[in-house]
This record gives sequence, structure tokens and C-alpha cells, in this order.
Amino acid sequence: MEYFLHILVITGIYMILTLSLNLVLGYTGLANLGHAAFSCVGAYASSLLALNYGVPPWIGLLVGACTAAVLGVVVAAPSLRMKGDYLALATFGLGVIVYSVAKNWVGLTRGPMGLPGIPGFSLFGLQLSAVWSYLLLVTLFVALTFFVIRRVVTSPFGRILRGIREDETAALAMGKNVNRYKIIVFVVGAFFAGIAGSLYAHYITFIDPSSFTLMESITILLMVVFGGMGSLAGSFVGASVLVILPELLRFLGMPSSVAAPLRQMIYGLLLVILMLARPQGILGKYRWQ
Amino acid sequence: MFSQLLVNGVTVGSIYGLTALGFAIIYRTARFFHFAHGAVYAVGAYVAYSVVLHWGWSPLVAFFLAGITAACVGVGIEVLVYDPLRRQKAPTLVFLIASFGVFVVVQNLLQLIYGAQILTIRTGPVKEGRHVLGAVITDMQVLILAASSVIGIGAWLLVQQTRLGKATRAVADDRLGASAVGINPERIIMLAFGIGSALAGVAGMLVAYETNIEPTMGMNAILKGMIASIIGGIGSIPGAMIGGLFLGIGENIGIWKISAGWKDAIAFAILIVFLLVRPSGIMGVKVRGEWL
Repeated sequence: MEYFLHILVITGIYMILTLSLNLVLGYTGLANLGHAAFSCVGAYASSLLALNYGVPPWIGLLVGACTAAVLGVVVAAPSLRMKGDYLALATFGLGVIVYSVAKNWVGLTRGPMGLPGIPGFSLFGLQLSAVWSYLLLVTLFVALTFFVIRRVVTSPFGRILRGIREDETAALAMGKNVNRYKIIVFVVGAFFAGIAGSLYAHYITFIDPSSFTLMESITILLMVVFGGMGSLAGSFVGASVLVILPELLRFLGMPSSVAAPLRQMIYGLLLVILMLARPQGILGKYRWQ
Repeated sequence: MFSQLLVNGVTVGSIYGLTALGFAIIYRTARFFHFAHGAVYAVGAYVAYSVVLHWGWSPLVAFFLAGITAACVGVGIEVLVYDPLRRQKAPTLVFLIASFGVFVVVQNLLQLIYGAQILTIRTGPVKEGRHVLGAVITDMQVLILAASSVIGIGAWLLVQQTRLGKATRAVADDRLGASAVGINPERIIMLAFGIGSALAGVAGMLVAYETNIEPTMGMNAILKGMIASIIGGIGSIPGAMIGGLFLGIGENIGIWKISAGWKDAIAFAILIVFLLVRPSGIMGVKVRGEWL
């Protein structure tokens, strides 16, 4: 039962990541290949604040999310002046670099040894430790993410985002400051990824760089693409299926030296096949002319 | 100290340059960031490993086999994935995601075949290099420099001087216009994938001799190759080599001044600075008034 609840918590955290990436990738058409880097920054920022300065996780979560958002501006602003490919490269690079900094800056992050003993959330002086309490907390944040992002995409603002995705030149011709919209969306995505990272850190109470590799970004990317770019319901489906399915496969009992690369290979293959055969995913509507 | 850093920087930089060169040749015609190029590079390294250690053939055979295998993999990716996407008139985003997917597939295939551990081709004791102007240069470094200069100049001549090169430049300039004068753009793009991937394979093979090999080596290689290509001026053949050297030397000076763990972050910072200050790179290519 504990294990089942744990899987639900993890699914919830992935839902936040998938919803936020969907806003960036699915609704606005910005190629973000390093979403895990933002959650890494959020997780480390809020954990280090809690461990070194005793900052309560609630504030740490907010600071972590804001740090991720600032990093989002630093990366997006220069690369968005160029064509879409440059953003893909910059986010890909960010994924590699954030991982290598987390691993190599031993003085701050303790490198591959990771950060153990991260304090959990507390409410009115009461320490949250049971898995079900985290399930409630994460559900709350999933709901928050969902409502914010739904509000964004159904508003006139969201219509402009879809306009940018479909035809950037047309959006420019309508007098829209396309770059500003793109940067705002990118920062909102990074902010929520930071929240997800911080939730993860305070729930598991241990983080190390290996939780935020490029493979994590690919998993989130696949969740968005599989569920459907530009479909919020799709994000829920994508995150659920791709968290629960590998858990089931765990019972097949393959050695992990085979299982891990095999799983990643299947993920990559799924990405390619989806792009070739059904780029709109299972619930998405995204389809070019 | 400084001359040693320069030697190391130029050696690493010429390998970045080779990767960037292959990337640039592909980008000129296909016009999207081919992420899987990094995985093709890793294929070259592993082919060299198999040829030398499993079958006991000479490094020269490894050099050619790595290039040929990489070319086949590159063309295979183009035919199986990119060409169908081009026929569907897919937007760039779809190409990027597919390319990223291919990268993951090839990288993990290598890991399934060879395992995740770090391998090395070099056997026997490490020979001390020659002393030149206060720097130590190993034979391998000399070989890497020689090979990459020959290949770099060869690629430049191929593009600038031959009929084939003219055709690739035509496709790079204007795909529709090129097909109007009887050039088959599909074939030129496929050729670009073949040549570009062969360069990546050769670069991977040279790296296998200089350092170690592991399945994830392509990730760093494509990152550096793309950065080198952008700071050199994307799509420019001499720019790719110059960008590679610039990046290699810059990184090594950074290691000297800061610390080795920050090497990748320094490369990334160089990229961001270039995007802010001079996005067209050192030798950017202009196509009808617009930067490529």
C-alpha cells in the first residue's frame, strides 16, 4: 500500500513537469530538451537552503522555483533571438551543464555523494512524514499547476501562443511581441519545473545529480509527446502511463544493466515513431498543414 | 605552461572542429540541428575499439572502417527518419524531437552491446612525448593535428572546388532553385549526411585513441561540435574548424584559470556570450542577405 501511494506521489510530480513542459513545447512550440535541468536547480536550491540555513521548505520551494525561472531567462533570452534550433541546443546544453556542475561542484553540492537528510515539509509545527500526507500535498500542487496552465492556455494570451506555434510570422504581423511571449512562457515552464524538483527533494529527503540526467528530460519530453502536445488531459495520461508502465516491467526481473538502457532505447524509439506516425500523440490536436 | 595549454587546446579543438565540420556540412543542406550526430561520433569510436582490440587489425583500418560505418549510420538515419519527415513537410520542432530520439536510441544500443563501463584502446605503457618550445607533444596529438588539418582542407576543397560541392552550395542556398536546374536535393542531402557522418566517425576514432570511450561520449561531443559550429559561424566550413580551435583553446585556458570541473560550463558560457554579442559567429554565412 505504501509502495502504491509512493508511485502516486511520483506520478503527481511528473504530472507537474509534464504539464509545464506541455505549455512550452506543446502550446507554444518551443523546443525545450532540458526540462530536468530546471527541476534540478529547484531541488538543489531549496535543499541547500533547508540544510545550510534552516530555511523552511515552503520558502525554499518558492526560492527554488524562482531560481529556476531566472535560469530560464538567462538561457532563453539570448537563444530566442535566433531560430528555434538554438533554443533546442541551449536547453540541451543546459541539461548537460547543470548535471556536470551538480556533480563537480563538490564544495556546494557534495557532488555524486548527494545531499542526504533533507527535511520534509511541516504544517503548523507538525512534520509531514506519512506518504499519504505527501500525496495530498502533491495533489494540491498538481491542481494548482493545472489551473494556472489551463487559465493561461484558454485565455487570449494562450491563443497568441498557439498563433506563434502555428505561424510565427503571422503573429508578428499582428503586432505581437513574439519574443516576449516566448520568454514569459519559457519562464513559467521553468518555474513549475523548479516546484516539481523541490517537492521531489523534500519528499525523498535525498537528492544526487543522477536524478536529473538528460534521460530525465527525455522521459518528460516523451510524456508530453505521448500524451499529446497541446493537450492538458494528454499530459495526465502521458505522465501516468510512463511512470506506471516501467514499474510493472520491474517485476519481469531483468538485470538492471540491461533493463535501464533497454528502457531508454524504447523511449527514444517511441519518440521517433510518434514523430513519424502520430506527432500529435494520443490526445493531442497539434497537426501541421 | 601557456604553450602546453595551447597544444592541448589545439588538439582538443581540432577534434571539436572535425565534429563541427560534419555538423556544418549536414546543417547547410538539411537546415536543422542534427543531434544524433553525437551518437554517430560515438559509433566511430566503438567501431575503432572493436577493429583494433577484438579483431586485432591496424589503426589505419580502424580509421577507414570508423568513417565508413559512421557514414552508413548517418545515411540510414536520413533515409529512415528525416526523409519521411521531410516528405510530410514536418516543422523543425518535429525534426528536433525525432533527432533527439535517434540520439537516445543509438547511444543506448551502444551501451547494450558494449556495456556502460569506460573502455580504452591504448595498450602498453604511455610513451613520453617530444618537448617542443616548453610543451610536451605526444605522437598521437601530432597525428590528430595532421589528420584533422588534412581532412579540414579536403572538405573545404570538396565544397569550394568540385562540381559536387557546387551542387551542395546550391541546395544550401535555395533548395527549390537547385532542383529547377536539375540537381536532386534529396540526393545531395543524403550525400551531406554521408560525408558529415564520416567526419564524425573519424573524429570519434581519433578521440578513442587520445582519451577513453563510453556510450555517453556523444552527448558532450555534439554539444561541443554545435557550439564550435555556432561560434565559428554556422554553416561555414572554415568557420567550423576555427570555432573548434577557439573553443578548445578557450576551454583549456578556462581550466587553467578556474578548474577542470567547469570545462563544460565554460564552453556553454562562451556560447551564450556569442549569441548575445555576435550571433552570426566568426565567419557566418549569408544567404540572400540573411544569416544561415
